Amino acid sequence: MASVRSGRPQSGATATVGHAGNGQAPGPRAGRAGRRAGGRARDGLTLFIVGGILISAVFVLPLLWETFRSLQPESTVSNPPSAASFGHLTFANYRALLSGQDDILRNVVNSLIVGVLTALLTAAVSTLAGYGFGLFRFRGSGLVFGLVLLAFMIPFQAVLTPLFLEMHFLHLLNNLVGLALFYTTFNLPVGVYVMRNSFLQVPREIVDAARVDGASVSRTLMSVLRPLVLPGIATAALYAFLFSWTEFLGALSFMTNDSLFTLPVALSNAETGTYGAVNYGLLLAGAVIAMIPCIVVYVALQRFYVRGLVSGALKG
Amino acid sequence: MAATEAPGRAAPGGRAGAGRLRPRRRSAADRRDARAGLALTAPAVLLVGVFALFPLGFGVYISLTNWPLVGAYHFVGLSNYTGLIHNSVFLQSILFTLKYTAIVTIPIFVVGYALAVFVRSNRRGTTLFRTLIFLPYIVGLVAESFMAVVELQPSSGTANFVLSRLHLVTDTTAWTVHTGLATTAICILVIWFASGLTMMLLMAGMQGIPTDIYESARVDGASWWSAERRITLPLLRRSIALSLIISVVGSFLAFNQFFIITDGGPGTSTESVVMSIFQTAFADTDVGLASAMSVVLVIVVGLITFIQFHYLQRDTD
Repeated sequence: MASVRSGRPQSGATATVGHAGNGQAPGPRAGRAGRRAGGRARDGLTLFIVGGILISAVFVLPLLWETFRSLQPESTVSNPPSAASFGHLTFANYRALLSGQDDILRNVVNSLIVGVLTALLTAAVSTLAGYGFGLFRFRGSGLVFGLVLLAFMIPFQAVLTPLFLEMHFLHLLNNLVGLALFYTTFNLPVGVYVMRNSFLQVPREIVDAARVDGASVSRTLMSVLRPLVLPGIATAALYAFLFSWTEFLGALSFMTNDSLFTLPVALSNAETGTYGAVNYGLLLAGAVIAMIPCIVVYVALQRFYVRGLVSGALKG
Repeated sequence: MAATEAPGRAAPGGRAGAGRLRPRRRSAADRRDARAGLALTAPAVLLVGVFALFPLGFGVYISLTNWPLVGAYHFVGLSNYTGLIHNSVFLQSILFTLKYTAIVTIPIFVVGYALAVFVRSNRRGTTLFRTLIFLPYIVGLVAESFMAVVELQPSSGTANFVLSRLHLVTDTTAWTVHTGLATTAICILVIWFASGLTMMLLMAGMQGIPTDIYESARVDGASWWSAERRITLPLLRRSIALSLIISVVGSFLAFNQFFIITDGGPGTSTESVVMSIFQTAFADTDVGLASAMSVVLVIVVGLITFIQFHYLQRDTD
């Protein structure tokens, strides 16, 4: 048992490596296995796919349903459903959100600025730190690494009040860059962990060869190592962007000027009726706008996300 | 040059002590390494220091004062902490958060585990199913809470429309202003939202288990269930611990869904701990008291995380 446990790949495994424990599917081509066995495998596969579609529907249908609802006019959304009006669809909610007095375009842009800045900063700082922790030995490096991971053990929710006062003092309240710096800090444990592992996985010969050729520390990073650790950089940036885009409590605390609100905070204001009566049609359309970038970014880059999970990034 | 450098870097980033076997005078290359290492890690250290460690210490300091949001303050010793014992709103928020955590943890784990078993094979379609099941987590609880607000409205929301057709509730049920109903709705929302993460974490762990163990178990005539119980569960302890800790800590720090869906109401009956801190700091502007609450929160979460580390450490040995 013990040998099995220690042999379990924790960091080396990639998303596609390794087979499922006992879910061996003979595959559609059962080959010489005979018609009966092939038929059974096909039945199994059909059952699996039907089951998969039903289970997936539980998780996806609500999101699709809300997208459909967001295309109904406000009067349909906030009144008892009637068969006559239910299928009448319009982009009115979206038009109202992207122009006029309920404009949230500004807030979408704010969220994008903070999200992209957080992703870039997290990627840059994590890459440098991962390079330092992974390939350089220096006194106290273990202690410093522990210090960075310690941020993982401090829930940001618990330092919010003192941080509010500190950021006020540093003129970082109502400041998109300040918010991005805050988000970056709490994404560093994941990012630095992933990047240190990426650098540790670079074959030693490559690092040594660069040294022998006389490449400087920065040149080694930029021209030799960068392509090798790029997947790690993508992982760190992806986690940071998704965190920033969906974060609510910090943005709610540190942004008091409504032209600087991020999208979730603007929607929360709309929900509590700060802009007048609550408009549930707009709220739904706003929530759908908030979910689209997450889905697009995740679907496009999910192998990097899974890579982070497999390498144990969340373990801190 | 290369020959003298190589031994000094025998273990890049290796465990502390690996290089101390050779008590040799530090070469120029070693010093260059040390300087570069410090410089490269400095930005990360600076950020963690400024935005995490300093506020933590500052928070402890503030918790010993009667700090208002604006104006002068003075030291009050531990009175913020002793006051917490009699602070019924805070105590209620702790009890409510514990209750909420207790309700959602097991369903998230059981549903997540079942989903992981379902998607762990490399059959056709599994990648797509994984992606779809994981979407609610990726979209984030904030957007979904706004959707829930709309759909939990009496008479117009989809929840009542469906449930009243099933004769489970009347179509005028006001979910968000009733403690029990609101808690039920939020728990269902969160289980739906979070089981995808547990699925992904457990699936990653399951895929790390070598297939040949299952093959030899099958040769020995083990059933699916006994293989699951005797092989998967013990070998998955790390992943199980990790997913449970993430889910428990996440539930304990819940804020978004309660702030958005019930605003803590009716009264303060659905106020979570983090929400209670938020209200104390920004609505009541009692920063000293809010900081004392935060320190309690750090200690509780730190204990949970410490137990995690302890558990994981023991498991890797």
